[in-house]
Amino acid sequence: MNQPSPRNILRWFDPRHRQPGTWAFILNRITALGLTLYLAMHLIVLGKLAQGPAAYDSFVALAHSPLVKIGEMLVIAAGILHGLNGLRVAITSLGFATRYQRQLLWASTILSGILILIFARAMFLGG
Amino acid sequence: MTQISHPSNPKEPLGLWLFKIITGPIILVILTIHFLVNHLLAPNGLLTYAEVIAYYKNPIVPIMEIIFVCFAVAHSLTGLRGIVLDLNPSQRILRIFDWLLLILGSTAILYGIWLALTIASA
Amino acid sequence: MPTLWKITLEILRQRQNQPPHVELFELEVDPDENVLDCIERVWAFHDRSLTFRHACHHSTCGACGMRVNGVEKLTCITPVREVTHPNGVLRVEPLRNFPVLSDLVVDVSGFFQRMEQTQLSSIAPLSQAKLPFEPNPPTIWQGQRLIDCIECGLCVSACPAANTSTSYFGPAVLAAAQHVYRQTNNPTVMQLVNCADGLWRCHSAYECSAVCPSNVDPAWRIMDMRRATVAHSLRNIFKRPNQKVAP
Repeated sequence: MNQPSPRNILRWFDPRHRQPGTWAFILNRITALGLTLYLAMHLIVLGKLAQGPAAYDSFVALAHSPLVKIGEMLVIAAGILHGLNGLRVAITSLGFATRYQRQLLWASTILSGILILIFARAMFLGG
Repeated sequence: MTQISHPSNPKEPLGLWLFKIITGPIILVILTIHFLVNHLLAPNGLLTYAEVIAYYKNPIVPIMEIIFVCFAVAHSLTGLRGIVLDLNPSQRILRIFDWLLLILGSTAILYGIWLALTIASA
Repeated sequence: MPTLWKITLEILRQRQNQPPHVELFELEVDPDENVLDCIERVWAFHDRSLTFRHACHHSTCGACGMRVNGVEKLTCITPVREVTHPNGVLRVEPLRNFPVLSDLVVDVSGFFQRMEQTQLSSIAPLSQAKLPFEPNPPTIWQGQRLIDCIECGLCVSACPAANTSTSYFGPAVLAAAQHVYRQTNNPTVMQLVNCADGLWRCHSAYECSAVCPSNVDPAWRIMDMRRATVAHSLRNIFKRPNQKVAP
């Protein structure tokens, strides 16, 4: 299919022959979907709080597995990447520093990387 | 020769886009505060029911959480709508989707507010 | 005699409404020749049925845009040296996001109609033909020149948002609208692009500006037009109803 078509949906996520701006777009879209899913799950899970101490505490104990921890780390990483790149998109989309969008992209990516490492350290090494 | 298709959403100016652009940074700020407060006031990360209830005794917390849930839900559903717009929906499908998002969003927000108030008054 | 390179030209061929297939042509070329020269050689010596658009051969007409090894290029100014290596492959495909008429020829008529709606003039005073952040031309001669956009469609082909949405205006049209609006302050141009299929569909991938062969910087122009539209709408909020200006 050469024409625009919803059937080309997978092309959004094809990073080949693309600019860093598209890589950021791909990452933003994937993290957006992930975070939306997490938001829904988070709201549902926190409903346990309304059921009193027993329900919540037993749930938290259940959720204390390493798999859940990795999942939480993914959510934090997605939030940081989406947030900082989103800030870049918001600023440049309003015509500010648009010509420096690529430098801003590197800056936001490096900052995201540092923040993710800090959070990972705190989470897995208890620092 | 191809005739250009008429814009499917001619009367949809900047509002929703601007909303997404403005709520993004607001969410970022609230989330940062949330993480800082969470880490400073509750070093164990609010992992027990008692801790959460104590945390919510400070009236700023439920207010912040309510603002957060409103903006987070609205921002994410607006974004979801943006993705659907990219997929060339017909006017009819878009309208149905709009209603779906509206119902989903308001349910989520009302539920979030109810939850925050329930915890705060526990 | 320059050193010749042996290259394999892979051309994506297609008759309308038939599945595309790749045809290979082994060529010996001077690496300083342009990709379009290679395609013309195939047409001249190997296969007269090959169809492709070309006219000026010096990046003014915008007819010969194609995808070369996956990236949008104006083939008349793309030296073989820059896109492949000795014994390398040169894969040539039609532009994306346009219907294919045959082989490398795509249907740009819808694109041109939209460009026309912006009322973009192909010439502008020297100071207005350039991007505003570029240095001013010497003021010795107060004339007009052709504007930069050659309507080649490379930006539309590269834009990820245009992959799925037929109704999206695409970068060139939005950039043209910005150009016209900054010259004329014409509110109808703003109205034209202030819609979900216009300015607000762009997802900041900045592909358009990367592939533009003609210094238009469509992404910058889209963002500038957004800023103008947001500013205009905010000003309108604080005006009394009878003073409001569309849109």
